[in-house]
Amino acid sequence: MKRAIFYTLFAVVGIVLLPTQLLGADARTTAQAHWHDGIEAYENRDYATAIDSFNQIILLGEASDDVYYNLANAYFKQGQQPTLSRPFSGGELGYAVLNYHRALRLNPAMEDARYNLELAVDHTNDTDGVPQSFITTLWHGLRNMMTTNGWTIVSIIMFACTLTLVMIYLLSERIALRKASFFTSIVVALCFLLSTLLATSSHYAVLNDNRAVVLCNDTTPVHASPDSASKIIRQPSQGVTVRISRSHGEWSEIIFADGEKGWIRNSAIELI
Amino acid sequence: MVFGQPHLCRNIRLTTINGHNVALYRHLNKDEESIVMKQLLRLTLTVALLLCSYTLSAQVSFSVDAPSPIAVGEAFRVEFKVDAEPDRNSFTAPGFEGFDVVAGPSVSTGHSVQFINGHQSSSYECTYTYVLIATSAGKHTIGSATVKVKDKEYRTNPLLIEAVTETKSKAEQGQNPENLVGKDDILLRLKVSETELYKGESMRASLILYTRASIDNIDNVSIPPFDGFWSQELSFDNTPTRVEYNGGVYEAYKLVEMLLSPQQSGAIVIPAAKLTARAQVFVESKRNRNIFFGGHDIYHVTRQLESPPVSIKVKEFPAGAPASFNGAVGSFKLNAKMPNSQIESNSADQIELTISGSGNLKFLSAPRVLLPESFEVYDTKVIDNIKVTSNNTSGSITYTYPFVARSPGEFTIEPIEFSYFDPSTGQYHTLATEQATIRVLDDGSVSTTPIISGGGLTNYATTMRQLDRDIRFIHTGKLAHRAAASFVLSPSYWLIMVLCASIFIVVYLLLRKRIRDNRNIVARRMKRADKVAVQRLRMAERSMKEGRRHDFYEEMLRAMWGYISDKFNIPVSNLTKETIREELYRRNVTATVAESFCDIITRSEEAQYAPSAEGEMDEVYANAIDVISKIEEAVKR
Repeated sequence: MKRAIFYTLFAVVGIVLLPTQLLGADARTTAQAHWHDGIEAYENRDYATAIDSFNQIILLGEASDDVYYNLANAYFKQGQQPTLSRPFSGGELGYAVLNYHRALRLNPAMEDARYNLELAVDHTNDTDGVPQSFITTLWHGLRNMMTTNGWTIVSIIMFACTLTLVMIYLLSERIALRKASFFTSIVVALCFLLSTLLATSSHYAVLNDNRAVVLCNDTTPVHASPDSASKIIRQPSQGVTVRISRSHGEWSEIIFADGEKGWIRNSAIELI
Repeated sequence: MVFGQPHLCRNIRLTTINGHNVALYRHLNKDEESIVMKQLLRLTLTVALLLCSYTLSAQVSFSVDAPSPIAVGEAFRVEFKVDAEPDRNSFTAPGFEGFDVVAGPSVSTGHSVQFINGHQSSSYECTYTYVLIATSAGKHTIGSATVKVKDKEYRTNPLLIEAVTETKSKAEQGQNPENLVGKDDILLRLKVSETELYKGESMRASLILYTRASIDNIDNVSIPPFDGFWSQELSFDNTPTRVEYNGGVYEAYKLVEMLLSPQQSGAIVIPAAKLTARAQVFVESKRNRNIFFGGHDIYHVTRQLESPPVSIKVKEFPAGAPASFNGAVGSFKLNAKMPNSQIESNSADQIELTISGSGNLKFLSAPRVLLPESFEVYDTKVIDNIKVTSNNTSGSITYTYPFVARSPGEFTIEPIEFSYFDPSTGQYHTLATEQATIRVLDDGSVSTTPIISGGGLTNYATTMRQLDRDIRFIHTGKLAHRAAASFVLSPSYWLIMVLCASIFIVVYLLLRKRIRDNRNIVARRMKRADKVAVQRLRMAERSMKEGRRHDFYEEMLRAMWGYISDKFNIPVSNLTKETIREELYRRNVTATVAESFCDIITRSEEAQYAPSAEGEMDEVYANAIDVISKIEEAVKR
């Protein structure tokens, strides 16, 4: 009986992991080469080549949080090259912000990306958002401590622990052990619930992420209605992060961090 | 009598000019005349007495006064004044070479007596006046005139008079009084001391009214806005001067004087200044010839005057300005008062910089002082002592940089630099303080972090760190695997959860018999605790009846220990009298009951091997039943 359980477990793990090992072995080798090229170019301050190499990895579908992070760094550095007429004249800042966001979406716990993003946003004319409540800040802070999968794994471990503790409670004869296992199991069960909630919340936050970054060389007008003749209500610069509420033809309605709404051309923004 | 009152001030002036005083009093009536005459008589007596002493002691001055420059053909007056009564016919006029004498000499004498709060003073003046006309242009000297006072000869200094040929003629005489004041007779000019200067340098601009007519009113003066300049009004001497200007001889009235300092480079045009001047013109009257007043009609001629705009060229500073140059123009000196070379940590000290000299002091900015990071720097205090002189602003500015040294150690204060541009040489100069070393001693307090921050306080260290921020380096190392999609709520997630649950269920099923037994043993033991005890007590009773003392006490002990063990589910091996007391206490059994329970155990243990009476066994037995029933009661509650 026990043996059968182990076999089943092994088979499940195999089914989950096997496809990733078999498929795209070729793509992975190419991606590795691009990865090394990109890092070398970055170290030699050849940011244009670095950007190209990291973008290749993303095209191959081998993107990880580190790839997005490095790509964002390369864009940022490229925008600060002294050969440019002025910093970020090629719209590099927008791409840097976009890719920091993408890295953070994959790995909310990436502290370096969060730091660099904050620094890049300082160069934009982005407004401060409406201050969030303490509970929301705490919840987001907790959620961003780990990736979605990290929280999922914690949730599974907590579930297993809860069951083990219940079993210990049932089997033990000593009162002290029974008591200890009983109360610990309750605490661990609560942890299981919390981690599951965090994992699902993180999962849906990524799934329903409607944020976009403004990409343009210069300021882009935001109109009051999806019509280029309508009144211009704001001029966000590159790198400003907005939320998309709806689309209409080649226009999208965006909401700024301070709550103001407006319409912008789809070509000027890119979804995270 | 008026003169006797000491608090009154009376000023009576008696002037005798060619018998004119008679004419003055002619209109008074008889009574008044007699009063005046009496007063005059008294006065003359007093004056005569006073005069004797006055003329004996006073110093006699003899001077000559004439305008200069003058125009050729212009009639002007030369006055020789002596402030004492000259001897009769002692005045000798000089030769007026180069001049024609039109009239003179006419002699006028004046005599005034003053009574101020009882103090009397008097003065005497005798004036010999000539009216001359210069016959040729050039510099002519009026030689010394001599006069004798009390047989002592006095002489005037020779006077140099410049005669100028006017190229612009005066207005022609005519019947229309408007034509009497010519275009060039009244001029308004803005005179500037420089027309080409550096930004920040100072210059003087004066608004001057040149006139050849007699002006009796000036109105609607509009001073141009000095846009592009810093301006400061200067105080000036407003007595008119006679100048030669533009080929004519004018009276010059200074109206406004400003100190200007351009604040921008390039050509700056100062727009026109405007005013309305009214001139008095005397025209010989044809209709009304008055014997006494000469028969002149007075006309007023009003003129709108405008000064031509003045263009100033402001030069930009030459290239090669030092890094510490901040727009200071002039000539300066730098003095520094450095803090003590040894201070305690957390104590305050300051650096004092004094910049003195002349130049655009008002526009100086505090030189940058770089202090070590651990120094907490406070707002710089500025105390200035600036005077505005006719050419420049001069004085000194003192900058005080207070700080608090937070952490102990030896620190170096880099030289503080101050640069200025000297417009006279066209060069930059850099002044620097000496490098200073400060040893900060530990004052014993542990805190090395700044206590206060914000609120009028600048922490150089934090701002510098903010400026130096840059993005963090890229992640090198190996390329991580493609980020896996989140598997929460995915089939594999559910599979793992179900798997965990099924393992649990399987284990439960496998061990359910033991779990059930486990649970039952415990419950049973608890329930049966007293029953077992009763059974054991019965066995003890049998032993007691049979007289087996040893067996009785052994059964008693087993019953007591076993009862507690079963009742509270504690292994017998873990039980001591102490734990029993604790357990009982925790279960709300009274201390006396717990004590008697332990007493039974003690007595049983002692009696097991010791000889004792029969009745004792009965007592122990009865006590045991009593105690157990009491415990049962207490625990059930």
